[in-house]
Amino acid sequence: MSFILNPELWTLTVAISVPLIYAALGGMFSERGGVINIAMEGMMLTGAFVAVVFAYATHNAWLGLAAGVASGAGMALLFSWAALTLTADQVVVGMSINLLALGLTGYLLDAFYGYNGTPISTPSLPTVHLPVLAGIPVLGPALAQENILTYLLLPTVLFAQFALFRTRWGLRLRAMGEKPEAGRSAGLGVRRYRLSGILLSGMLSGVAGAYLSIGVLNSFNVDMTAGRGYIALAAMIFGNWRPRGVVMAALIFGFLSAASIQLQGSVIPPDVVLMVPYLLTVVAVAGIVGRTTPPASDGVPYHEESI
Amino acid sequence: MKSSIGAFAMVAALSSGILAGCGTSPSATGTPSSTSTSSKAAAYKVGLVTDTGGLNDHGFNHLAYMGLLQAKHQLGVSVSVVQSQTASDYVPYLTNYARQGYNLVIAVGFLMQQAVQQVSKEFPHTKFMIIDDQVTAPNVTSSLFDTQQCGYLVGELAGLVQKQHALPNINQYNTLGVVGGMAIPPVNTYIAGFYAGVHAVDPSAKIILKYTNDFNNPNNGQTFAQSEIAQHADIIFQVAGGSGLGVITAAQQAHLYAIGVDANQNYLAPNTVITSAEKGIQVATFDTIQAGYKGTLKAGTQTFSLSNNGVGMAPPISAIPQSIARQVAASEQQIIAGKIVPPTTIP
Repeated sequence: MSFILNPELWTLTVAISVPLIYAALGGMFSERGGVINIAMEGMMLTGAFVAVVFAYATHNAWLGLAAGVASGAGMALLFSWAALTLTADQVVVGMSINLLALGLTGYLLDAFYGYNGTPISTPSLPTVHLPVLAGIPVLGPALAQENILTYLLLPTVLFAQFALFRTRWGLRLRAMGEKPEAGRSAGLGVRRYRLSGILLSGMLSGVAGAYLSIGVLNSFNVDMTAGRGYIALAAMIFGNWRPRGVVMAALIFGFLSAASIQLQGSVIPPDVVLMVPYLLTVVAVAGIVGRTTPPASDGVPYHEESI
Repeated sequence: MKSSIGAFAMVAALSSGILAGCGTSPSATGTPSSTSTSSKAAAYKVGLVTDTGGLNDHGFNHLAYMGLLQAKHQLGVSVSVVQSQTASDYVPYLTNYARQGYNLVIAVGFLMQQAVQQVSKEFPHTKFMIIDDQVTAPNVTSSLFDTQQCGYLVGELAGLVQKQHALPNINQYNTLGVVGGMAIPPVNTYIAGFYAGVHAVDPSAKIILKYTNDFNNPNNGQTFAQSEIAQHADIIFQVAGGSGLGVITAAQQAHLYAIGVDANQNYLAPNTVITSAEKGIQVATFDTIQAGYKGTLKAGTQTFSLSNNGVGMAPPISAIPQSIARQVAASEQQIIAGKIVPPTTIP
């Protein structure tokens, strides 16, 4: 019991979950529009790298963040050109984007900074102190002092919920993911809506990447996302393509990672705990507990009918 | 139809981007400097394969690369380097250099032991060097480091700082932390020495040890360090390569202290990194290349220790009292004299 009540466990949970939530929310927009996005890993990695480059060059972490978000959107444009315009297989293109990002950022890191790594004078995004919240038992320390991006998560989640379920755009985006032919017959451009979903995904993945590089650290390393994009994908599926579910799933995954770190050296082997996110996803997808239902046309390229 | 051809071209273009990303780094350093070298030197070719930590790790791989560059400038040999992205790259990269007729192929890291064993058998006329592990073959030179010795010294230093509260923000919990990359011998020898050093000056001190299970994930290193800090560790020894850089950041953010590894990492955070346990990978790499070039390279194992300056402790920051530095320096002499023998396994 004292383990669960340890405030540090929750601080770690939040720190690990934040980038997962950003990326998973983005992936949700893409998949709600009918495009499977496994390229979040590559978009995060690109965002992480570009954020460091611009933060260092301009001495301003906010410009770094903006550039990181823009680079995520850039990767999203490349992705949508292949997946929408050329109607290529979305999973294959997504994988290519991930490999491209890995090779490109690794190469540019050496090209820009040599083998000395990113400069140590790179600025990072501010940490915010809210002493008011520190009084809350157990969760207080986790909420009172966090990176600014952690606090910006709340409006982002609310925005996602509102945009997807309370706006005309959200309704139409979801239509494109369920039955694009219906949307088309209503006179809507399928590609345009799908593109908007992918772009949002790229931008939010960029934020997640920037959180890793200039949020909690001020450096970039080769392959520093280390599979977080795929865990975000799992969180999105486990969260049943809904903002609230996505947040809960990412928090569960974050909690398990944090618990495995805290428990290391005690009874439970840490490797077993680290396996749990993937196990849970398999269980959820297989429909054993709480069946998940993907958008009906998720992953199906839309071919414009010839007249 | 047109669109599917386009899609294929897109995937092909993207894939070639990856190859370009990996392939360009060797050629960047592969050209010999023609001005200062004779053609004989330039004809001696040395290839270096990093482990997955990569050349930007501020430590292990980076030091081997520095040794390679030193050989290029001082001896004029041709050098080339390639960075492994995954463990499955080791065999093809080593094979690639051997097949291209490289005279000496250097494998950086314990993790490449099996790969070297396999490839060295297939290319008996190529010389190989492996750092941090032993391969018994007529064409392989193995370099081992007695890192338990420098681990002991930084452990003693940390133990004394802890016991005497010699720096600000040292708490009353008498707890130190270690973040390891993986529970493998080259990591654990450092840690075993650290334990012995700490307990030599304060047997009651508590040490928290956790492994990140990777070497290139600084965010992970940071999280692990924060977890240890929450359990009251105030000086943390990082033995986790690129992941360890996050340990230093975590200590810096908490206004506590870290100990660097492999290289002197004080420049990363001058008030945080109180010292570093250094490993003479650069020296070992350069010496091996030089011996290979002169034709005096022998197969077998060479051991680097305090007595031949193969390992060492970086100068502690000036905030640490002279008395502590003197005591640690005395222990160094005792290790060299064989009066203290730090263990290689963690209790």
